[in-house]
Amino acid sequence: MSIFETTPIAEHDVLGDLMRGSLDHCVKCTICETFCPVSNVTPLFPGPKYVGPQAERYRTPDEPSPDDSLDYCSGCGICTQVCPQGVHIAEINTQARAELRKRTGVKFRDKVIARNTVGARLARPVAPLANWSLANPTIRLLTQRVLGLHHQAALPKFASRTFQKWARSHPQPAGASRRVAYFHGCGANHYETRLGEMAVEVLEHNGFAVDVPRGQDCCGLPLQSNGLFEPARKYVSKLSGRLAPSARAGIDIVATSTSCSLMLKREAREILGMDDDPDLRVVSERMFDICEYLLALHRRGELRTDFRPVPMTVTYHAPCQQQGHGIGKPALGLFALIPELRVIENDATCCGVAGTYGIKKEKYAIAMKVGEGLFAQIRDAAPELAVCDSETCRWHIEKATGVPNVHPVEVLHRAYGLS
Amino acid sequence: MTTLQTEVLVIGGGATGAGVAWDAALRGFDTILVDRRDLGEGTSGRFHGLLHSGGRYAVKDPHAATECIEENLILRHIASDTIEDTGGLFVSTPDDDPAYGDRFLQGCKDTGVPAEEVDVAEVLKREPRLNPRIKRAFTVPDANIDAWKCIWALADGATRHGARILTYHSVVALHRDGDAVTGARLRNELTGEELDVEAGFTLSAAGAWAAEIAHMAGVEGVRVAPGKGIMIAMNHRLVNTVVNRCTMPADGDILVPIRTVSVIGTTDIRTAHPDEIPVTQEEVDQMLDDGETLVPGFRDARALRVWAGVRPLFEDVKTGDTESTRDIGRSHAVLDHLERDGLKGFVTMTGGKWTTFRLMAQDMVDVMCRQLGEDRACRTREERLPGSEDGETYQLGHRLRVRERELQDEQLVCECELISRSRLETAMRERGTANLDDIRRNLRLGMGPCQGGFCIYRATGMLHAIGRQDGPSAAGSLVSFLQERWKGVWPILYGDQLRQARLDDWIYQGALDVEHAPATAPVGAAPPEVREAAADGLKVSAA
Amino acid sequence: MSHDTIVIGTGMAGLVAAVRLAQSGARVLVLAKGVGSTHLCPSTIDVLGYGPQRIERPGEALAAHVEANPGHPYGLVEVSGLEAAVEWFKEQTVSGPLGPYAYVGSLEANKLLPTAVGAAKPSAVVPETMAAGDLRGGASLHIVGFRKLKDFHSALVADNVSRTEVGGPVEARSAELDLPAGGRVDLNGLALARHFDDAAFRSAVVAQIVRRLGAEERVGFPAVLGIKDPHGAWADLEHRLGRPVFEIPTLPPSVPGMRVFAILREALRRSGGELILNAEVVGPALENGRLVGVRANLGRREVVHPADHVVLATGGFASGGLELDSRWKARERALGLPVAGVPAPGEPRFTDSYFEEQPLSRAGIAVDRELRPVGPGGEPVYDNVRVAGATLAGAVPWTEKSGDGISLATGFRAAELILQTTTVAAVTA
Repeated sequence: MSIFETTPIAEHDVLGDLMRGSLDHCVKCTICETFCPVSNVTPLFPGPKYVGPQAERYRTPDEPSPDDSLDYCSGCGICTQVCPQGVHIAEINTQARAELRKRTGVKFRDKVIARNTVGARLARPVAPLANWSLANPTIRLLTQRVLGLHHQAALPKFASRTFQKWARSHPQPAGASRRVAYFHGCGANHYETRLGEMAVEVLEHNGFAVDVPRGQDCCGLPLQSNGLFEPARKYVSKLSGRLAPSARAGIDIVATSTSCSLMLKREAREILGMDDDPDLRVVSERMFDICEYLLALHRRGELRTDFRPVPMTVTYHAPCQQQGHGIGKPALGLFALIPELRVIENDATCCGVAGTYGIKKEKYAIAMKVGEGLFAQIRDAAPELAVCDSETCRWHIEKATGVPNVHPVEVLHRAYGLS
Repeated sequence: MTTLQTEVLVIGGGATGAGVAWDAALRGFDTILVDRRDLGEGTSGRFHGLLHSGGRYAVKDPHAATECIEENLILRHIASDTIEDTGGLFVSTPDDDPAYGDRFLQGCKDTGVPAEEVDVAEVLKREPRLNPRIKRAFTVPDANIDAWKCIWALADGATRHGARILTYHSVVALHRDGDAVTGARLRNELTGEELDVEAGFTLSAAGAWAAEIAHMAGVEGVRVAPGKGIMIAMNHRLVNTVVNRCTMPADGDILVPIRTVSVIGTTDIRTAHPDEIPVTQEEVDQMLDDGETLVPGFRDARALRVWAGVRPLFEDVKTGDTESTRDIGRSHAVLDHLERDGLKGFVTMTGGKWTTFRLMAQDMVDVMCRQLGEDRACRTREERLPGSEDGETYQLGHRLRVRERELQDEQLVCECELISRSRLETAMRERGTANLDDIRRNLRLGMGPCQGGFCIYRATGMLHAIGRQDGPSAAGSLVSFLQERWKGVWPILYGDQLRQARLDDWIYQGALDVEHAPATAPVGAAPPEVREAAADGLKVSAA
Repeated sequence: MSHDTIVIGTGMAGLVAAVRLAQSGARVLVLAKGVGSTHLCPSTIDVLGYGPQRIERPGEALAAHVEANPGHPYGLVEVSGLEAAVEWFKEQTVSGPLGPYAYVGSLEANKLLPTAVGAAKPSAVVPETMAAGDLRGGASLHIVGFRKLKDFHSALVADNVSRTEVGGPVEARSAELDLPAGGRVDLNGLALARHFDDAAFRSAVVAQIVRRLGAEERVGFPAVLGIKDPHGAWADLEHRLGRPVFEIPTLPPSVPGMRVFAILREALRRSGGELILNAEVVGPALENGRLVGVRANLGRREVVHPADHVVLATGGFASGGLELDSRWKARERALGLPVAGVPAPGEPRFTDSYFEEQPLSRAGIAVDRELRPVGPGGEPVYDNVRVAGATLAGAVPWTEKSGDGISLATGFRAAELILQTTTVAAVTA
């Protein structure tokens, strides 16, 4: 029933260590270093080749990484994407960081921001107050001192009603010819609820009945990035448990956060080593980014192309973790179908925020430097909208450029006349 | 012609010879140590790095087992900086008889080797790459020891006590005066000059070459069977504990994690001459298959380098010709030529194993003292080597830790082995050699995955810049390094290492066109200084 | 709706084929495991340097070389085809995002350019930023290095280059600068290239050396003269120094190579081609024995990308396009094509002398005149697959100095062959 002809790969490393073992493929060619957005702007990070396949040869279970400089890796994953030999550099780094954390401990701040849904739930009843506080410069300075969140870092606004709540009372259209499940992620559930609604409406416009499995919590990516692997695994298991019934029923799952969907597509299996979780397995095989999905529909001639003209200029930045999907830039393929839409493709690998990395006090300046080129491109283009598939990137870029930043689905929504 | 005078001339700069120089110097003897090449270039620098607990010999050779465990403990005390306490395992693979494990335990008990049976599931958790089908497992206090680091520490220590070290000096003749050996004629291999050494006593620690040296003294009847063994270094630590197969000693039954690699060894083939030790494809295949038995998927892992070493197996004239040298007794033999051949002032050491080098040296110097009528006690059991004063064993992450501190201040020249520019420059200036291979032994330059692919150009440029060599000599050093490196790589050139080698071809030939650079053989090296005792000793170390 | 052509590989051969096709209107998708050889190679178009003696006129030498080396990839292209490819490539650089950055030279004569160890290497077509390093007939040079760039040693270059045989005396002096002041102690070529994009940095460099230069000296730098605007940086230095300036390629990362990648990448984008990295092609997609696309490993799943044509440009053993396992079996990794030139089991694959030609050196995919891979009997394996670049059997490019020449020639030819067989309108680029 899936619209995709894909086959799961029985990938195995006979040495039983797919990520770490891949360090053998490193021929020290330096290509990863030339692409690393962080080491290119700061000497505090010695580079992906150094902290990944090179330093890994010096680490033992008894004596995890003595190199704290590893912590400056943002986890953007570009190194893995450009490595011609197939070294899973970013994955090695993330695993090494978790080991590093065992030695150094995890900062309280990291524990907090890694579990953002907990904070979101607490804040929701007092959303307006919470949002006001987080916008208040004095309170932000205080937060920086106490928690270590940079006072200028872009933080989202809490919504007063979750997307899940909206979904509960949203009737599925009668006569839908097919069905799809929606993995909304924390971003659409707690902060950008309108995005979730638009995604559903766009899918319904194309004849889908959209299931929104209940009880979807965080995908665990922030926990994984901060080296908290055990809690991350619990989150992944729980979420997979919620989504697996759809997958098992042959229903595809689409997501609007390219970071979260990448986590379930492969990162949780590769980095957290959760290949033996049967729920995760079926979910990852059925997980698609929404643009990936819609473009595939179009290639089969099954996408409604009744787009109205959208006489706008927009820029498009494919986040690093979207590139990690290996699907190209399907958003561009979709935009090409919208009359009068002028799209400027940004030429940048990473905006700098890399999830929770760029909001930390000690990393903020690096994040801003990393994104400098991208921000300049957007400002110079002076578009009506900037477009980006990942929520933390949107918030970061919007704050830096002043240009409203939306998910590609919002543009489609508008072009379908649904806005 | 120069003539040097000394009390003791030690021939052979391997572990034994360096140990003898250390021992003799500590006992107050004026000593000169010579080696035809660099220290540790022979057998001692070509083993897998295993510091035996003795478990391997517990059943077959109990005497050796006891010697090993005793020396193991002593070395941990005196040479701690050169030893990493990895611990060891003996495992019964599916191809081994699990009942042997009981004999093993009993043998260990009888010989004083601490061994304990442990739960296989626990072992597999600790070492996830091990064959999941192993049936039994035992822990022993195996460790690894860094050969070059140890040998240089011994040399350094000896120098601090007045010894002189002459590398690249071969012995071309031994001097006899009637029924006494009185010294040697040496040739400086780098300059061609010859010099004489007048020595009250000559100790031959020439290992596999002992017969040749003895012959120079007119002594026949010293027969040393060269037992070739190959070893393969794998790119990273497949295991972090020494792993032995729990069976009678055989080929390819040891996997040693040492520094950043794991070494599988070894074979045992009789060769005609200790300098003829080719690596054969059959041996390589055998080692890879043996590796598979211990670590499934071994053949898919990356092999870095292969080399052969030659064991000196003392063959008592009575033993017949056997294909496997493994069955010849492994205990060392101190041959007092006064007793055997009526020749004063000459003692040969042969046989033995790395782990017991200190004991071998002690025995040798004791024999010398007895012959001289000197009552000087051995101090090497207690005296710590330079660098090991704090008694802390080596940790794998050491270089990474050091690098982390220097991150903003130091250029990294050899990235795989984390060698900084100033470290390399210091070594280049102090070693007085322009041979990049010597520096490789000292610092592990070019011993990582890229096998010098990136660092060797940098090192060549540095040698030139500090005035060690002119342009053509520098290019010649580079060419020579590439050639040497190739010898150790081509028999295991498949998979990832082939990719690396081919990339290096593209860089060195395709881009740098090194084969057409004006290049001369690398002889433009400064002659090695005769090392006098200095207040702070040799500054060279291989941490 | 599938792509007309899938190109596998992002090295010179793959990108050239992809851009040529895309510019002619084909829908092209480039799939690659990562970034390719551009970033590692000096990116001079080396056509033919040694055969085994040094070659002065590569265009003229090609025919004899092919005859002496049967099965050589140059036997698959006409000299005129190679010339056309070179002209096309030059046009791409000049009209690309780095324009007027240009390549100069032709098949008529090899220049002799200094290498980072001071050899004199024959190259036919080179970036304008390197051309003034031509040693033919002798030269007076001042080689400038940077202490913070450990990958280039100016004194070594100067010492050796003054001893090379180039048909005239070469005098060379050297200098090592401690720039940029402050900041990192350890720079790679890319970082230094970014500095060279900055006029203030160039001023500082000029200030430190201009007074030391001899009147006739040409000034050589490592190949880091700018990544965003190499023409501007180089021209500015020439202007301020009042002398010819050239750059010398060294260890990777190769800044000149990154420029080529940027140029071709942009050309691909402008013509509507698509590039997906981190996509490893693991096999052909077959329907009744006919190749209808490729199967790619994207994360944990295998995805089929349909296409009418495939160009295989995955490189040789260095890039993992070809692989040898521990049992000495060779494999072509993307499509599983048969590998030619591998010694039979039991026969030696290598000799123990490094600089000799190794038995395995020429291994690769054998092709017919249409660049289609052939099996042991000479029959094409797939009608709609073309092989280009270092994946091809028959050459030892790093020894004869023909790497980019072969890649450019065969990548271009592969595109031409596909255009001839499709109904896509051939729009001249």
